[in-house]
Amino acid sequence: MHPARRQRLILILILVILSSAAVGFATYAMRSNMDYFYPPRAFAAGEVPLEKRIRVGGCVVPGSVARAGDSLDVRFALTDGEAQLTVVFDKILPDLFAENEAAVVIGKLQQNGVVRADKVLAKHDETYTPPEVADSMKGSAVCLQQESQGVGA
Amino acid sequence: MGLKPPGAGITGEAKCKRKIGPGFFTLLRCELLLALRRQSELVNPLLFFVTVLALMPIGIGPEPELLTRLAPGLIWVMALLATLLSQEALFRGDYEDGSLEQLALLPQPLYFAVSAKILIHWLVTGLPLALLSPLLGLMFNLPIAGYLPLAFSLLLGTACLSLIGSIGAALTVALRRPGLLLALIIMPLYVPVLIFGSGAVQAALDGYGYSMELAVLAAILTAAGALAPLAAGAAIRISLDH
Amino acid sequence: MAWQWFNRLGSPRWFYQKSSVWMPWLAAISLLLLITGVVWGLGFAPQDARQGNSYRIIYIHVPAALLALAGYYLMAISGAIGLIWKMKLSFLVMRAAAPIGAALTFAALVTGALWGKPTWGTYWDWDARITSMLILLFLYLGIIALSRALSRQHTADKACALLTLVGTVNIPIIYKSVDWWSSLHQPATLKLMEPSSIHPSMFYPLLLMILGFYCFYAWTLTAHTRILILQREWRTQWVQQLLTCNKI
Repeated sequence: MHPARRQRLILILILVILSSAAVGFATYAMRSNMDYFYPPRAFAAGEVPLEKRIRVGGCVVPGSVARAGDSLDVRFALTDGEAQLTVVFDKILPDLFAENEAAVVIGKLQQNGVVRADKVLAKHDETYTPPEVADSMKGSAVCLQQESQGVGA
Repeated sequence: MGLKPPGAGITGEAKCKRKIGPGFFTLLRCELLLALRRQSELVNPLLFFVTVLALMPIGIGPEPELLTRLAPGLIWVMALLATLLSQEALFRGDYEDGSLEQLALLPQPLYFAVSAKILIHWLVTGLPLALLSPLLGLMFNLPIAGYLPLAFSLLLGTACLSLIGSIGAALTVALRRPGLLLALIIMPLYVPVLIFGSGAVQAALDGYGYSMELAVLAAILTAAGALAPLAAGAAIRISLDH
Repeated sequence: MAWQWFNRLGSPRWFYQKSSVWMPWLAAISLLLLITGVVWGLGFAPQDARQGNSYRIIYIHVPAALLALAGYYLMAISGAIGLIWKMKLSFLVMRAAAPIGAALTFAALVTGALWGKPTWGTYWDWDARITSMLILLFLYLGIIALSRALSRQHTADKACALLTLVGTVNIPIIYKSVDWWSSLHQPATLKLMEPSSIHPSMFYPLLLMILGFYCFYAWTLTAHTRILILQREWRTQWVQQLLTCNKI
């Protein structure tokens, strides 16, 4: 075979091998699910690893927010309708954080079953609606409804 | 492969370069020899890497916890800059003495010549960086869990950087002072490598496995290994105005 | 037939003459759409239940962000056409699109930051979309820098086209990786809207604004390309004729 043509053949072979390897690695990477997001029921079921950075999403249980008198420490409970989870936090809560609203917490689960949060985020409402429509929809069930549709998705 | 390269008899500054026609491995050996001869170019990126990293604790304060927190990101950003700085010389010498033109005139695809150069570039910059990384981990109070992922991610990641950067080096080879421009056009393309490189270390520090990050780096490496030398070859032809 | 049309499109002269007819139409349509969109969006569309009036910046932010991305793909396509068919005009369109795209990306970032302050409480947040928009801006700026650095025009054309194509391969990877990265650092709750979740009374003005931005983009791009044509072809007879006619 003509040397130049042979080299071109080798080149094409190399390209095919490399690109199929790339596809292989990519599919392997896709398969390992790296979303460290857990609903409160996963804590009750004991599926959550201790002392690792995780994320929890749920609704803030009405009446559960308790602030310490002398410091910024705050304690509240998150729920997904099935289980509750206690969270402690020692920084300032975001403005949009409120009872009966969705919140996402980043932190570590401790031995005593309480999550110590590094960060608390209020879930930002994704829908844009005029006030009248929003009023008619309002009710305590709204937050939980959204939650059950899958916050983690 | 008995084909005599058209450029064989024309110039021959380094005896080495006359043998370009025969094949990839000859070229590889020649490139390695040349790279080893230019010792300052070999050592400078490494020195830069270590020096700047040594400056960091001086600048931000020596608290061990802070350093641990910053280590994966800082070491990775510095590795990126060190690779970038050395990238400029990738095709420069060959452009200036005309052998790049000779290579482009050969009937064989530029892919092989370019890959040989990139491979050598990685051997003399990326590989030493990865080997040096445990030392830097020590300086930055990196927990033991971070050492292996740091070394592995640097090993794979710097190869990606060399490949991607070669495109920029080829596009700017005809410019007199390409330094900053090269950085400007290549940096955005480095982003995924940086994310998954430092992500691997961070995942290990958070107590998770890091095989997913390494798999992504490997995917980027193989994809770039197929595409980047092709693009760099095309860029060389553009720069030479063929 | 099609090929003949294609070849004629490649001629800068033909494009220049034809586009002088399109220009006023494009300008008029985009002005009409933009004015209606702005008046409707800012004046008549209802307030948002949670964000009040501050959501109205959406009417600039979303079209700018959409076009910033679409503009990059337009550059890549015209660069590819230029490289494959060696079409002069298509390189010119690509080069004209770069600064416009950069400006739009910048506008999207600025409006995003202004919007972020009242809703998220911060101007800047390393959220996936913001970060990838920032990287898109860097890509644009790199291409502009390369096109300025290379003094030989047709080398610069091809080099920029190649860099744009390399960037195009990278954009999805960058987006994916930034998305993954930011979802590790913070959950994807600070999402912007999805068109389906917006109420119709707010959506129609947005649609008008998007269409208006597209027309405006087409108008600016044409104007920019025309300038580049004149610069590049000033030695040719037809440009000289044009110049002398206009002077008298």
